[in-house]
Amino acid sequence: MPYDWDASRKRIIGTFFGTGKIDRVPYFPLACEEMICRITGKTYKEIISSPKNYANAAISTFEFLKADTISIPTAYAGPGEALAFAEANNKKESIKWFDYKVFMAKQGVVCKTEEDIDKLEIPDHRKISLWDTCISALDIINKKLGMGGLCLGIWSVVQELRGVQAYRDMRRNPDLLLKLCEKVYESQMDVLNFYNEEVGGSGIIFFTGYSFNKHMMSFEDAMKYEGQFIKRIQKETKASIILHNCGTTPYFNEVCNEIDLLAVNGSHPLDIEYWVNFKEKFPNVTIIGANIDVSRELLNGTPQDVENKVKENITNLATGGRYIVGPICCLPWGVSLKNIMAIPKAIKKWGSYPLNFN
Amino acid sequence: MNDNEILKSLRRTIIDGNPEDAIDLVNKALTAKVDPKRILNEAIIRGAEKVGLKYEKGEYYLADMLLAADAINGSMDAIKPKLKEDTYKTPGKVLIGTPEGDLHSIGKSLVVALLQGQGLEVIDLGVDVPPEKFLETAKKENVDIIGLSGLLTVTISKMTETVTLLKREGIKAKIILGGGILSDETCRRVGADAWAKDGWEGVKKIIKILEDRKNAI
Repeated sequence: MPYDWDASRKRIIGTFFGTGKIDRVPYFPLACEEMICRITGKTYKEIISSPKNYANAAISTFEFLKADTISIPTAYAGPGEALAFAEANNKKESIKWFDYKVFMAKQGVVCKTEEDIDKLEIPDHRKISLWDTCISALDIINKKLGMGGLCLGIWSVVQELRGVQAYRDMRRNPDLLLKLCEKVYESQMDVLNFYNEEVGGSGIIFFTGYSFNKHMMSFEDAMKYEGQFIKRIQKETKASIILHNCGTTPYFNEVCNEIDLLAVNGSHPLDIEYWVNFKEKFPNVTIIGANIDVSRELLNGTPQDVENKVKENITNLATGGRYIVGPICCLPWGVSLKNIMAIPKAIKKWGSYPLNFN
Repeated sequence: MNDNEILKSLRRTIIDGNPEDAIDLVNKALTAKVDPKRILNEAIIRGAEKVGLKYEKGEYYLADMLLAADAINGSMDAIKPKLKEDTYKTPGKVLIGTPEGDLHSIGKSLVVALLQGQGLEVIDLGVDVPPEKFLETAKKENVDIIGLSGLLTVTISKMTETVTLLKREGIKAKIILGGGILSDETCRRVGADAWAKDGWEGVKKIIKILEDRKNAI
C-alpha cells in the first residue's frame, strides 16, 4: 500500500493551523544525511548525484521512519550555505567531504579577516551544483507528495563563516558583525527566491535560530544578530516561521513575545512543566519536540523508555492539538533502529485523537 | 599606582575583557617588581574566577567570556617567562581536540582560552582529530586530562571509539567530554570520566579533577 502523504499533510496543516479534524498527533523527525545514508545504504555522494536520486532517497527514508514530514537536509542553513559561500569566494578547501554524512566547513575560514567580510561575494545558488540538485529535489518531492518548505538561518551561517571570531566581534566590532549578518541575509533571500522560482512560494519556513540560546548570547544580541532578520523575512514573504533551537537553554518564551511564530522546535528544557507552561502562555504556537532528546532515551534507553517519553509528551501537550512529536537533534548512527521505530509505534498507541491514556 | 592598585586594575581589565590594557598592566607590574606569582594569583586567577561567576549568574555570555579569556591569555603570555624563572609549575596539562568527523571549534576555542587563563598547559589538537592522534599525543606529552569536544550527535560514536582506544592502551589521564548534546547516560556509554554541557562547566570540572588528584597524592 502506498504511503499516505495526503493524510500526513492534513495532519501537519491541521495541527499548525487548527483546521479540520486531525486523526492523530503528527511525527516530525529531523533526519540528517547520515540517516538517509543508513536507511538507503548509499554514500552521500551517490545520494546527491542527481535530484531524482536525492528526492527518492529522502522519500524512502522518511517513509521508513513513518514520518509525516519530509526534508532535504543539505538545503539547510549550516554547512550547505557555508559551501555556497566557500564556492563563491574561492575557498573550497574549507569544506571537508565524508562518505556517509554531510560535508562540513572548517569554521572561521571563509571570513577570517575583516577584508574577507568586506569583499564577501553573495553566492548565486543557481550556479552552485549542489544547491541546484537540492532545490530540484525539493521540486520533485513537492510535485510527487505535495509537501514543501524551506530551511533558513542567519547565526548558523555566521558561525560557519566567521567561527569563534564572531563572538569577539559582538563586543569589539558589532558593525562588522552586522555587515556579515546582512550579507548572510542577502544570501538567504537568494535561496528563498531560487526556491520560489523552482518550487513555488514557501508558505512555511523552518528557521535554525541558533542564536536563541542563553548559552550563546543575551536575548538582546540574539534579536540584533538574528531576530531582526527573521522579522524582515517574515515581512517580505508573509511566510509562517518554525523556530528551531536545540540548545539547552532556549529563549522560546522570550522570542514568542517578539516574533509571530507558527511553531517552536526544541529538545530542552528537559522539565516537561516548562512546556506545559509554554502551551498555556502561547496556545496558538505549535510545539514540535518538547523534551525528546536523542542523547537520552533514544541513544541510551530501551524501546519502552522511548515510548514512555513520547507518551509523557503527548499526555501533557497534545490535548487540543498544536503538538507534534519530534526528537531532536539529528538521529545518529548509535541510536538503535528499535528505539527509532518505537517513536511512531508510541504515537500510534497513545497519539490517536480523541486522546485516551488508559 | 602602587602594587595593589596595579593588580586591582589588571583584575578589572580582565573582567572587562580588554586584552591590550591587560598586557600593559602586567608589564607595568613586572617593571614595578611585583612578584609574578602575586600577579597570577591576585589578579589573573581572581579575575578569571569573577568572570566565571558572572557567567553563572547570567550577567556574562560567550562573547564576554571569550574576551576575558583573551585578556587572561595575553597576561599569561606576558608573565610566563618570569614565572619560569621563578620555577613555576603548571597545575596540570590538558590535551584537547574535536573528534574526527566534527569540524566545530567555537566551544573548544573558548575552553582552551579559559584553561590557559587558569595557568594550565593546554595542547590543542584542533578539529577533526583521529583517535590515534589523541593516543599518540597523550602518550608523548603525559597529560593529566584529555578533553573531547563535540557539537554534533553524530560525534558521539567517534568519542566512544577514541575513549575506548585510550583506555585500552592504558592511558591514565582522566577523560572529559564537552558539548550540549551529552548527558550522564551518554557519558557512561562513551566510557568517559566526566562531561560538561558548556565551556565554563568544563573548566570547573577539569580544575576539580586536578585538585582531587593533587589531594589524593
